[in-house]
Amino acid sequence: MFQLFQFLARQKVILLLLLLELVNVWSVFKYNSYQHTVYFNTTNQWAASVLATTREVKSYHQLRVVNETLAQENAKLRSELFRLKSQQQPESKLPYFVSEAMLNRYQAVAARVIDQSTEMSQNFLTIDKGRLDGIQPGMAVISSTGIVGKVMSCTDNLSLIVSVLHTSNSVSAKLKRSGELGYIKWPGYQSEVADLMDVSKYKKVVKGDTVVTSDYNAVFPPNIPIGIVAKVGVEKDDTFHDIKVMLFTQYATLKYVYVIKNRLASQQASLEASKPKIE
Amino acid sequence: MTVSFNYKWFFAVLLSIAIQVMFLRDIAIANVAFCFIYTWFLVKAPMKVNPLLFLLGAMAVGWLIDTFYNTHGIHAFACVLVAWLRPLFFRILTPANGYDERSSISLHEMKWLWFFSYVFLMLLSHHVLLFFLEASDWSLLGISLLKTFSSTLLGMAVFGILEFFNRPQ
Repeated sequence: MFQLFQFLARQKVILLLLLLELVNVWSVFKYNSYQHTVYFNTTNQWAASVLATTREVKSYHQLRVVNETLAQENAKLRSELFRLKSQQQPESKLPYFVSEAMLNRYQAVAARVIDQSTEMSQNFLTIDKGRLDGIQPGMAVISSTGIVGKVMSCTDNLSLIVSVLHTSNSVSAKLKRSGELGYIKWPGYQSEVADLMDVSKYKKVVKGDTVVTSDYNAVFPPNIPIGIVAKVGVEKDDTFHDIKVMLFTQYATLKYVYVIKNRLASQQASLEASKPKIE
Repeated sequence: MTVSFNYKWFFAVLLSIAIQVMFLRDIAIANVAFCFIYTWFLVKAPMKVNPLLFLLGAMAVGWLIDTFYNTHGIHAFACVLVAWLRPLFFRILTPANGYDERSSISLHEMKWLWFFSYVFLMLLSHHVLLFFLEASDWSLLGISLLKTFSSTLLGMAVFGILEFFNRPQ
């Protein structure tokens, strides 16, 4: 203690200097409006840049959550979109009203792809939503860019999806411009390209036409984009066009997909099953 | 130091502060050269002054000037720091034969080279602190430096002239 006092006594000049200058600096920045402003502007700038950096780092780590919420929001918007599209009046002059059941026919659920393949000739995806989320085998799966596939089987929390990139998974399709019907079939190689079959060679098909799902599709809602016509060829002895379709969906980089619940699917299936069989 | 000298110095300080706040406050040559004659207190203080009292005195004078200039703390800051630096300047400028016991700061007592070097160091350090703290902005660096040097030169001229009135009879 005595040594402390000795030290203080030895350094009294410098200590007094520091004390007085502290008081002065404090009063400079406290009572002079200009210096006050400079100080607070400077600190605000530093604080702001620090906060901005922190927020950037934080938001980077929140991207996963943000993606999740965006995907869910998209799913909601998609449900709304299906409703609005089916509300559109057909071109016929007859009075036609869309029933509430038809309006609410499609509902989208967002899901994250947790496993997938594109290199095989039969490709599947696994998503993180299952029976508990209301997903049933047979439902359509689309992405933000186009069709993806069909739910094949579900567990409580996961579902397996047959990709469009599967040689036995064909999708009813039409050409958007002319309305010509056909179906999409993947040849078993090249994840970017599929074939559009069954389009008569007497119909006009132009390179660049958009291919969408047809209105008579039991799985997919109508007018979901599939791809564009990349190459049109006709074989002389064939009755159909040989059409190559460039698919919109980038299967290799899929992160989020939307499972489309079709609420009238069972009704439609039972109706169609009751068709009289032709003996 | 004689008692009479202390009184003389004390009244000179009061007079310099009065002149400063009454007349020189509003005067600037070409808006860059300011005369801070109150630094008389710092420049002409006895060499063997008690450092603690000197710091407190510098604080008081600076604070007083600040009150009239509406610049709380700026003059006081510069004064206190210069008061603390003064012994350092003495050491830097030590003449070849050292300081005399009776040495006082005057053009008559010291040689003119020592006197003006000393005044230059004192005023420069004071004005640097003063103008840079006043500007508080590195983008005003040029104008602050200009003010500092022009005010220092003006101050040296003024202190030189005042020394002619300080001749021993």
